[in-house]
Amino acid sequence: MVVATLLVVACALTLGVGARGVGPAELWRILTAFDPSDPAHLTVASIRLPRLVAGLVAGAALGMAGTVMQALTRNPLADPGLLGVSAGAAFSVVLGSLLLGRADTGIVTALVFPGAAIAAGMVFALGGGLRGDVGAVRLTLAGAAMNALLISLVAALVLLRSESLEVYRFWVTGSLAQAGQRPLLAMGLVVAATAFLGLVLAPVIETLSLGAAMARGLGTRLMRAQAGALFLVTVLTGAAVAVAGPIAFLGLMVPPLARRITGHNLRAELVVAAAIGATILLFADTIGRLLLAPAEVRVGVMTALMGGPVFIWIARGLKGGWRA
Amino acid sequence: MRSGTIALSVMLIAGIVAALAIGDVMVSPADLWRGLWTREGPGALTLWVIRGPRVVTAIAVGALLGLSGALLQSLLRNPLASPDLLGFNPGAGLAIIAATSFGIAWPAPLLAAGGGIAAAVVLVALTWRPGHSTSTLTLILVGLGVGFTAAALSSFLILALPASQALEAQRWLSGSLAARSWAQAGQVWALGAVLAVILATQVRSLKLMELGEDLAAGLGLRVERARWGLVMMAVLLAAAAVAAAGPVPFIALMAAPLGAALTGARTPAARLLAAAAAGAAICVLADLVARAAIPGVQLPVGVMTGILGAPYLLWRLSREMERGGL
Repeated sequence: MVVATLLVVACALTLGVGARGVGPAELWRILTAFDPSDPAHLTVASIRLPRLVAGLVAGAALGMAGTVMQALTRNPLADPGLLGVSAGAAFSVVLGSLLLGRADTGIVTALVFPGAAIAAGMVFALGGGLRGDVGAVRLTLAGAAMNALLISLVAALVLLRSESLEVYRFWVTGSLAQAGQRPLLAMGLVVAATAFLGLVLAPVIETLSLGAAMARGLGTRLMRAQAGALFLVTVLTGAAVAVAGPIAFLGLMVPPLARRITGHNLRAELVVAAAIGATILLFADTIGRLLLAPAEVRVGVMTALMGGPVFIWIARGLKGGWRA
Repeated sequence: MRSGTIALSVMLIAGIVAALAIGDVMVSPADLWRGLWTREGPGALTLWVIRGPRVVTAIAVGALLGLSGALLQSLLRNPLASPDLLGFNPGAGLAIIAATSFGIAWPAPLLAAGGGIAAAVVLVALTWRPGHSTSTLTLILVGLGVGFTAAALSSFLILALPASQALEAQRWLSGSLAARSWAQAGQVWALGAVLAVILATQVRSLKLMELGEDLAAGLGLRVERARWGLVMMAVLLAAAAVAAAGPVPFIALMAAPLGAALTGARTPAARLLAAAAAGAAICVLADLVARAAIPGVQLPVGVMTGILGAPYLLWRLSREMERGGL
């Protein structure tokens, strides 16, 4: 209930707050009786609405991706942004648009997923996943290394094309500012379909979080379950990158909160994680727009500011149960 | 001299010559040699004005980072320890960015040292549990988090800068050696020399510490004091490098193992020297590739060390994994 209320408030703030403030009553009128000749109505519909949709899609996707990743790796520090999956998607897009000489939404849509898939598979393998035993430190460091490598490559490619600072920033730290130019509808559908698949697969993935031996004992086909989880992480992260660029730390922060609300039930956790992810992302974006107004703090920077301390807090608590 | 030592020296010298000779304008080593002594001809401009200060700065930055990494790896007995992974470099970078955006015009090395020390203090405060010894791996993970936070704050502060400064600051933050002057090169060398002299006085304690803490204490070393002195030294060495070139990643991580592997150095002093030389060679070569690999495009050196260093870290992790260290 609280989550749902907060999500609605976050949506309303995203639509209402900005250089041209729009009150709740006015907002209601925009939704019920849209007037195309009113500039306030136009601002909301053409600028803030795409932004809201992008925030909902990316936030929900990353919240769920983080949840699946933490269940898959049994690592509370797992996050698609920190482990390089988002950076892999971004790298693939930047490389592809350099080679093909264009950067339209078709290219973005076609390239985010293979990039995310390769990065997710590599980091899982490098972190020791193939031995069925993913150490938290090893995975986190392997992910940090992958992320550093891919971000360096993205930076090199973007600087190579001598693009503007804005393009550089978008592909290094995500933003919701260019939401209008992003494939919102397609990615929204992809996320919805993947979320459904996630709910179906949730019980299988849940056994993974008990550890390899236990999962096998329960009759789970380990490889299949892992492949399914990696597929979910890949598609969700790819979709998020396509609409908002690489955003780190959101997938780290959401699962612990979701778990508090739902307890250990992955299916419920995924639903709540999607809502919390969208809520946090929208709040972060709104705060980012207000903080240095009229300049705007990209939402990826805001999530990093919030997520850094969370990372430290979780890392401090790691011991005992988490092997190395 | 062992063959490995020769190989390392050749690598460093060849790297320096190549870095001076190769670029948008090619200059032959003979021209460089003539330019060095006569200050005339095509070599002189390249050597004395364009590439010279940059290469000289790169040598010092690499050597300082190499020393810092070698110290930390030896103190923590872990090849994954380095000032960038532990958050000291991002902390130093944050201090300089913060000073820029708040208009505080203190000298960069002072700011970097303050930021690096602050990051180290935060790290120790966060991992300190009375009565428990903190595992190195926890230290590295929390340090990574401190680094993430410092980097996030830096990118936040950059957004508050005017657009003209923002681009420059962004490049600096990924580690850049572009457009160095002799004054800047002189500054980092002078600082490096002072720090190296102080480090030389600490080599004995490092040697004793490596025998094990009990034995070191038995031989009259004040272990705690020596340890903090050495950590402080590692932070200051890294900070001096960051002040000159921004938080260049991964050099500190790679230098000591590369130096030790090439030279087979055993004593602490020899290992430190090897790490400094290896760090300098990595930095000079990485900057050369970043600058000259693609004609007309100058990448920041940090981008190149990221591309080089991340695979190294992955390889090192898989090694540690096989040995059961992780």
